[in-house]
Amino acid sequence: MSAKRINLTLKVWRQSAGEIIGSLKTYSASDISTDMSFLEMLDVVNENLIKNGEDPIAFDHDCREGICGMCGSVVNGRAHGHESNTTLCQLHMRHFSDGDTIVIEPWRAKPFKVIKDLVVDRSALDELIQAGGFISVNAGGAPDANAIPIARETAEAAFNAAACIGCGACIAACPNASAMLFVGAKVSHLSLLPQGKPEAKKRARQMVRKMKELGFGNCSNEAECEAECPKGISIREIARLNREFIKAEFS
Amino acid sequence: MNWFIDTISTSIGKKLLMAVTGLGFCMFLLIHMIGNLTLYGGKDLFMAYVEHLHALSPLILAAEIGLVFFACVHVATGLILFLENRRARPVGYAVKKNAGGRTFGSATMPYTGFIILCFLILHLINFRFIEQTPDAIFQAVSGTLSDVSFKIIYIAAVFVVALHVRHGFWSLFQTLGANHLKYMPMIQAIGIAFALLALAGFGLIPIVIGFIA
Amino acid sequence: MTLDAKIPGGPLAQKWDRHRFELKLVNPANKKKFDIIVVGTGLAGASAAATLAELGYNVKNFCIQDSPRRAHSIAAQGGINAAKNYSNDGDSVWRLFYDTVKGGDFRAREANVYRLAQLSCNIIDHCVAQGIPFARDYGGLLDNRSFGGAQVSRTFYARGQTGQQLLLGAYSSLMRQAASGRVKIFPRRELMDLVVINGQARGIVVRNLINGQLESHDAHAVVLATGGYGNVFCLSTNAMSSNASAIFRAYQKGACLANPCFTQIHPTCIPVHGTYQSKLTLMSESLRNDGRVWVPKQPGDKRSADSIPEEQRDYYLEKKYPSFGNLVPRDVASRNAKEQCDLGKGVGETGLAVYLDFTDAIKRDGRDVVSSKYGNLFDMYEKITGDNPYETPMMIYPAVHYTMGGLWVDYNLMSTIDGLFVLGEANFSDHGANRLGASALMQGLADGYFIIPYTIGGYLAGTRFPAVDAGHEEFKNCEASVHQKTARLLKIKGKRTASDFHRELGLIMWDYCGMSRNETGLSKALGMIRKLKQEYWENVNIPGTGDEFNQSLERAGRVADFFEFGELMIVDALHRKESCGCHFNTAYQTEENEAKRDDENFAYVAAWEYAGSGSDPILHKEPLIFENVKLSQRSYK
Ligand SMILES: Cc1cc2nc3c(=O)[nH]c(=O)nc-3n(C[C@H](O)[C@H](O)[C@H](O)COP(=O)(O)OP(=O)(O)OC[C@H]3O[C@@H](n4cnc5c(N)ncnc54)[C@H](O)[C@@H]3O)c2cc1C
Ligand code: HEM
Ligand code: SF4
Ligand code: FES
Repeated sequence: MSAKRINLTLKVWRQSAGEIIGSLKTYSASDISTDMSFLEMLDVVNENLIKNGEDPIAFDHDCREGICGMCGSVVNGRAHGHESNTTLCQLHMRHFSDGDTIVIEPWRAKPFKVIKDLVVDRSALDELIQAGGFISVNAGGAPDANAIPIARETAEAAFNAAACIGCGACIAACPNASAMLFVGAKVSHLSLLPQGKPEAKKRARQMVRKMKELGFGNCSNEAECEAECPKGISIREIARLNREFIKAEFS
Repeated sequence: MNWFIDTISTSIGKKLLMAVTGLGFCMFLLIHMIGNLTLYGGKDLFMAYVEHLHALSPLILAAEIGLVFFACVHVATGLILFLENRRARPVGYAVKKNAGGRTFGSATMPYTGFIILCFLILHLINFRFIEQTPDAIFQAVSGTLSDVSFKIIYIAAVFVVALHVRHGFWSLFQTLGANHLKYMPMIQAIGIAFALLALAGFGLIPIVIGFIA
Repeated sequence: MTLDAKIPGGPLAQKWDRHRFELKLVNPANKKKFDIIVVGTGLAGASAAATLAELGYNVKNFCIQDSPRRAHSIAAQGGINAAKNYSNDGDSVWRLFYDTVKGGDFRAREANVYRLAQLSCNIIDHCVAQGIPFARDYGGLLDNRSFGGAQVSRTFYARGQTGQQLLLGAYSSLMRQAASGRVKIFPRRELMDLVVINGQARGIVVRNLINGQLESHDAHAVVLATGGYGNVFCLSTNAMSSNASAIFRAYQKGACLANPCFTQIHPTCIPVHGTYQSKLTLMSESLRNDGRVWVPKQPGDKRSADSIPEEQRDYYLEKKYPSFGNLVPRDVASRNAKEQCDLGKGVGETGLAVYLDFTDAIKRDGRDVVSSKYGNLFDMYEKITGDNPYETPMMIYPAVHYTMGGLWVDYNLMSTIDGLFVLGEANFSDHGANRLGASALMQGLADGYFIIPYTIGGYLAGTRFPAVDAGHEEFKNCEASVHQKTARLLKIKGKRTASDFHRELGLIMWDYCGMSRNETGLSKALGMIRKLKQEYWENVNIPGTGDEFNQSLERAGRVADFFEFGELMIVDALHRKESCGCHFNTAYQTEENEAKRDDENFAYVAAWEYAGSGSDPILHKEPLIFENVKLSQRSYK
């Protein structure tokens, strides 16, 4: 498909540091090739801001191929933009039209403090994993990899959950800023596999408690997370988390 | 008991309280509706039903206490969840759009819940805290529901209940961990059917009551 | 300086066992008295930090990203090799060893590669125990696929996201140790300097990227696992923050850099589409199993693919390499694509692409079969380019992908600075002049889970450590020099952005030190880079200050080092007057246009020692002695 050139108006959340009050500022992005990714469009805007002696827009990104989970903003009210199963770095400008106005805001949730502009602190996600998102095995002690056969369907189901990239879009999109999809994905991944079963109870108990401690909201089964997750993680993983939690608490 | 308090004070714990009490309400709603269907059979049938109920009064009392308790739990927990969820996002979005998961029903649960609570109080004042003879009850029902403003309030309330249940029904299964690729579509369908049934079952009463009386 | 690789004696197969026995041990009770810094949280860094903490050491672990889980290893797609022989097709430790040495065109150290092959099996065991959802067959056992450069099926994979799953495994072990308090994680930190006191690596100075403040951290040993330097080329398949700065700081402090000119270029990537492109995306090599590569016969033919008739198409790989056809190894496929484009036969808007056409495969097997094999890749391609590969041929072009060169390390993975260990892509150790697919993940994890835990113990147990802490004068000196450099950069306030310079540097490197090189080009490039570097220090424009979150400053610091690194790569490429693996000097080729080695004169590791800014680096040679394999010439006709 041949590239077109479009002009856009951006309204971007600008906040020079965590403790300073921010606001939406308007910029124009002109002569944008529709072959660019959303982040490349921001690169172009930033290059111009620098040339004009202005402060470029800070945004997180790294792999730019949809796997590291570093990028992410709410674009026109949608986490990672309006294309489904897509991270912001994989959203391309051909999905916008000439003359569009695009509002870009950071992930919003109590545990996600703004660091600068669109950059937020997501260390709470690491803390959630620290609360139990692992299998306690030291290097050196493992049996042969084929010692325990695992049904292909089980491995596939575990993979579906393990595909989470930890971007936080589920939390940003959730009306309650709940982290249930993220935690559900990890608990499901590990509790489905025989290797993860011994610690299943402890994991579910601790991770669920950690969510509250960190200030995430509660799930009200609105499924906005599932609709925005770039990796298509299903709310069935949340149901599985609920199940694991019930098993852990009531037995 | 300590462990129980600990469990229900977690996020999922509170949701479980909502689900269990919500399930209780759904069951009550169903039974209540089946009972009320006697109204469509005419005054006599309805009176017989009320009489029947009164014969079971110790059981009914127990059920009523249970329902009040459930209501307290459902309302209090719902309120806590609502406040906690608001606190979880101190700074909101300038623009926020639905991604496709949210329904009108799901987005309005706390509000529809609150309306139901107000309605329940009215409802109890109308029909529960009055003289408890079958005749008096029938008079109250037909009397109250022949008033146009009450007609509207009751029909609207039933709409709200249906909306609440439309999301609440499948949601409680999800909360209890029962979401399976094979069965969830069925649960969703039942939820909608149940909401519509409640809508029809209760909602038609204020309309047809005039003919019955 | 003499390079002592410290290769243990004895027969190849017993070297590692014997070495482990000979290494001194740290008493378990004493381990907690040792502090170890690990820089990097990729496969190598995360596995090392977790394992060292499991053993009881105090570990501090640093990374640039906001979470250790986002290190660039996350992007690896294809798989990880292991000599498990689960496929019963004749694989063995020896065969994996041999394939790797041969694939590296005989420029790697035998003993290291053999150890790597031995440890490959332990890696898979450990990863499965961590809960990595590898692909399985219907019986529930692990599945394998084949990869380039091998005739056996030994690659374990997790869909197209093997790197992600392996990294999340290492990350989960790391998080477990963080929860126990034995690892402290420092995200959003960039290494600014290595602190060497009395000849020992004793700490680092990092910038806290959130507020720009410098922080000093002391330790008994420093482990660098900071990944590859492919971003010297600006456009590569690497992540945006991948850099050469960390290893370059170590180089400036006395660690030798080995074989910097060995860079791998992957043939099947999505081509460049415009000046503002920020990165190149890899498309799995497996596509070449069914796709046919072609360009128009007529240079400058701008017609669309479907309007070029069959007889006017040039299936150059099939024509030139009748027996391997489209499946020639990476370096050969890449070089040929470039050659066609240089002849003006490239396609697409930029003329820098060749077609990878599935029309025949779709005709032969049906769309469903093709889709079941490559559906996700086709979708990804369509997401990025907007073209539907079922209908129009894909356009592909080679892109920089992996760097075999890196800091020189001995058998213990220690650099030429005592107490500075280097793991993963950051070291030069196992891949010679060309890396085989699926072996970088294997190397990173072998280094981190199974090698460093032993060898660092040997160092700590056998070394005396003068009392040093972050208040030491040398830390102050390092901080001061970092401040100075930052201030200098910020003061320039010129006209061009750092990214702008980076693009220009990348083009020079790509044109003259990329897929093929020659002396004239390399010498020319050296001049161009020096000139550009000078302009950089006079004309770069970096907004903001040094005491705040400043991504432009981060980038500018890295670009400054890319200039230095690029220069060193060219110096290395110029000195190696042979072709080997990915280092293809057009003056040295066989009649079949393959890389022609000169084993007589160049069977060595070129390790460069820093001689101060403005002076030529000093070359040290570590001879490569092949006692177990016979050197041979590769041919794919
Ligand atoms: C697209 C792609 C696909 C690939 N596919 C495969 C494959 O299928 N099989 C295979 O075997 N290999 C593959 N590779 C190669 C392989 O992924 C890498 O070589 C390997 O993951 C490198 O791991 P690492 O731990 O050495 O470094 P990285 O994963 O790059 O980690 C570097 C770490 O160091 C940190 N760091 C870097 N610089 C600094 C600094 N200055 N200060 C502080 N911290 C710093 C970073 O934050 C990061 O945590 C692929 C590579 C790419 C690009
Ligand atoms: C006939 C009466 C009622 C019925 C049948 C009913 C049913 C339900 C059900 C089934 C749920 C779903 C539970 C879950 O998601 O697991 C629910 C949720 C909820 N109910 Fe009710 N309810 C009733 C009355 C009320 C009242 C009176 C209130 C409050 C004033 C209320 C407030 C809520 C709230 C806020 C939720 C959402 C909780 C959440 O998902 O976070 N409900 N209800
Ligand atoms: S569940 Fe999906 S949206 Fe949430 S963090 Fe993981 S990948 Fe992102
Ligand atoms: S930048 Fe890595 S997922 Fe977008």
